[in-house]
Amino acid sequence: MLKHLYDTDCVTWSPQGKLFQVEYAMEAVKQGSICLGLKSSDYVVLCSLKRQPSELAGYQEKQFKIDDHMAIAIAGLTADARVLCKYMRTECLEYKYTYESHHPVGRLVFKVAEKSQHKTQSGAKRPYGVGLLVAGIDPNGVHLFETCPSGNYYEYKCQAIGSRSQAARTYFESWFHLFEKSTLEQLVLHGLSAIKKAIMEDEELNEKNVEVGILGKNQKFLHLNAQELKDYITKLEAFNPNSQIQQE
Amino acid sequence: MIFNSELSAQQQHTTSPVVTGGSVIALAYKGGVVIGTDTLCSYGSMAAFKNVEKIAQVSKNTIYVSSGEYSDFQQVVKELAKIDRSALQYDDGVHPSPRDYGNFLARLSYKKRCKINPLYLQNVIAGFHNGERYLALVDIYGTYLESNFVTTGFASYFCKAIISNYWNENCTLDQAKQVIRECFKVLFCRDCRAHDVIQLGYVDEQGVHVEQPERVETKWDFNGFKTRANEKLHTQ
Repeated sequence: MLKHLYDTDCVTWSPQGKLFQVEYAMEAVKQGSICLGLKSSDYVVLCSLKRQPSELAGYQEKQFKIDDHMAIAIAGLTADARVLCKYMRTECLEYKYTYESHHPVGRLVFKVAEKSQHKTQSGAKRPYGVGLLVAGIDPNGVHLFETCPSGNYYEYKCQAIGSRSQAARTYFESWFHLFEKSTLEQLVLHGLSAIKKAIMEDEELNEKNVEVGILGKNQKFLHLNAQELKDYITKLEAFNPNSQIQQE
Repeated sequence: MIFNSELSAQQQHTTSPVVTGGSVIALAYKGGVVIGTDTLCSYGSMAAFKNVEKIAQVSKNTIYVSSGEYSDFQQVVKELAKIDRSALQYDDGVHPSPRDYGNFLARLSYKKRCKINPLYLQNVIAGFHNGERYLALVDIYGTYLESNFVTTGFASYFCKAIISNYWNENCTLDQAKQVIRECFKVLFCRDCRAHDVIQLGYVDEQGVHVEQPERVETKWDFNGFKTRANEKLHTQ
């Protein structure tokens, strides 16, 4: 493999038209633990699986509030995520100070993407090694975006990133047509079901290693607490998406 | 003319206005907001520019007028237009609401006031957004006040009585316009820097409508003027 000839820095193209440093940065995202988001017409739900480095350690949080109307879930290098999170929070605060209203979601994601792209075109810099799922509500509606180290961003109805996220995406492909009209509870249960597809055989979901955040048109960003998580995980046993189809 | 570069490098602070616009009166009515202003820009006590149209449309549902230094007004119109254009730059179709403009102007005015170099203006922003009408005053200090009626300059002294007697926030557009015309009639009589040509503009659900300038009705054929009531006194 001649990859190593062209992968030293961001300012070198490979003959196949790839920037290997950027691709390696995207690998860092794939190595992070899974986080996913899904939206209905009124709510966005973020679910993530928290990693525990060792028995003695706590669980690494993966969801952060940016403003009342916006939140992110991260996969990849947590330190890089912190930088982007701080940037997004500052931008939201400045916008609120100037206009007394919420920063439009798409616009902030665009700004993050611009920032990320800048790191892919410089000799002395490296791309951010983190992918964000940005959930937000603004006058244009309910949004879920994904940002990449490459500086690209995409809007989704539902998306999963991180390790074994393909399993969650497969679950979404089967059921996403129900999400638009789902209630908040159904949305959370769909999210948890998708996460369940992505965990290892010997792992199980519990209120410690799962993180659920909800955002709605009349609901500021809220983390579900341990008791609520326990209740949802219990309900997961009985949850059957097929019954939702019958309702409609 | 010798160009003294040292002098021009010093920051000048606005201490007094040079070319000024007159009073602005804005009233909310059932279904929108109407603003009236005269079409005069005074150069001190000289009525220098008599056909100035001062109602600026900053976006499809927001209008902006101010009294005070006219060059500052022109600068603010440019700043507000920049914000509307940002939607084009970000390609996201998000347009600021009238309240966003009002708050932005308040922040801008406050910042300049803190540097003791104010925008020498009393600003009025009016708009209609999401079924709700919007009207706010931002003054020279950056004070921001939302209200159903706003007056600047001399109108604050002479016209509040007229407004409180003849206007309410649910009147019709024509009633509100008539109140504004009455106010400018009084202003023309009493304010030395006022003019009898005014311009009305209103915002409603359909958007912004700025009308052609019109002359205020004035009456000069009072008996006292005609018969010179104190004639006998003078000839004695």
